[in-house]
Amino acid sequence: MCRSVILWVLLCSSVAAHEMTPTYPKWQTSMVEGIHKTTMEMFNKRKDVKWYEIGVFDEEWKAIPFVTSYKILEVKYLNHVKFDVYITSNNKDKAEYICSLSKLRGNNNNKPMIASKICSRFK
Amino acid sequence: MKKILLTALVLGLTACSMFMPKEAEAVTNINGTVESRCTVNTDTSGYYGNPNAYTLTTLPASAGQVPIVRIDTSLANAYKAQISYPTSFSSSPSLGDTVVWTGAVAVEQTSSTDMSGYQAASTTADGGAMRIYPLSIAGATWFSVSSVATYGGGQQKAFPGGSYTAVVVAECVAQ
Repeated sequence: MCRSVILWVLLCSSVAAHEMTPTYPKWQTSMVEGIHKTTMEMFNKRKDVKWYEIGVFDEEWKAIPFVTSYKILEVKYLNHVKFDVYITSNNKDKAEYICSLSKLRGNNNNKPMIASKICSRFK
Repeated sequence: MKKILLTALVLGLTACSMFMPKEAEAVTNINGTVESRCTVNTDTSGYYGNPNAYTLTTLPASAGQVPIVRIDTSLANAYKAQISYPTSFSSSPSLGDTVVWTGAVAVEQTSSTDMSGYQAASTTADGGAMRIYPLSIAGATWFSVSSVATYGGGQQKAFPGGSYTAVVVAECVAQ
C-alpha cells in the first residue's frame, strides 16, 4: 500500500516530460512525386523547454536531409504539436530514426541540466 | 367463418404488438488502443556544488544535487534508454586549462521488481559516458546521473569565477 502511494505521488508530482509518437512511423506518398512524408506528434510537459530540434538519421546515426516547416519547433508547455516530415524517395529507405531533442537555452535562469531526446524508428 | 377467425386473430395480434412496450436496444462500442510510447521526465533537475576551488560536483555531500530522470514506456521491448553524463560545459567562463570529467549513471528506482536486472544488463558507449539500458519491461525507471568536473588536469587549479552549466542527455530510442 505504502509503495503504491509513494509511486502514485512520484508519478503525479512529475511536471516535466517530453513525448513523441508514433514509435514506429511509416512513410506515405505525398502530393509531390518522388517525395514521401510522415506525420509525428509531440507533447511538451517540460516547463523549462519550449523548443525542440527535429532530426532524421540513418542506421549509423548520420544525418539525412529532410524537410519540415521548421527544423526547430516551438512546442509550448502542455501543448501537442503535429508536424509533417518530408524526405526524397532516394533517402526513404536509408532513414532509420526520427528524433526530437530539447533545446536548452544558455541564458535561461533555471539553467536546465537535462536534455531529453526521443527517437522513433522506421521498420 | 375460418376467414373471419383468422382475420380477427391477425388484427388482435397486431393490436397487441402496438400496445406492448418496445425495448430499444443499441450497441455502443468503446474502442481504445494501447500505443507504444516513451516519455522522458526530468524529475529532479541537478546542480553543481563547489566543495573546493577546483571541483564542481553534483554530490549532495558537497552541496550539489544529482539529477534524476524518469523514463516511462508503455510497451515492453519497444525502447532503449541511453543516459549520458556530461563531458563538457554547455556554458562557462573562458577556461584555459583542462577539465577532467567523471560521472556515473545508475538505476535509482523502478516501478516493478522485475526491472531489478536493468543495471546489470546495461552497457556503456562513448568512452563510458553513456549507459544503454534495454527497456524490456513496461513501466517507469528512475535514473540518477552524477557528475564531477575537476579543473587543472590533475594540478588542482581553481575554476575561474562565474556560472557553469553542463548537460545530461536522456534519450529514449525505439528498438
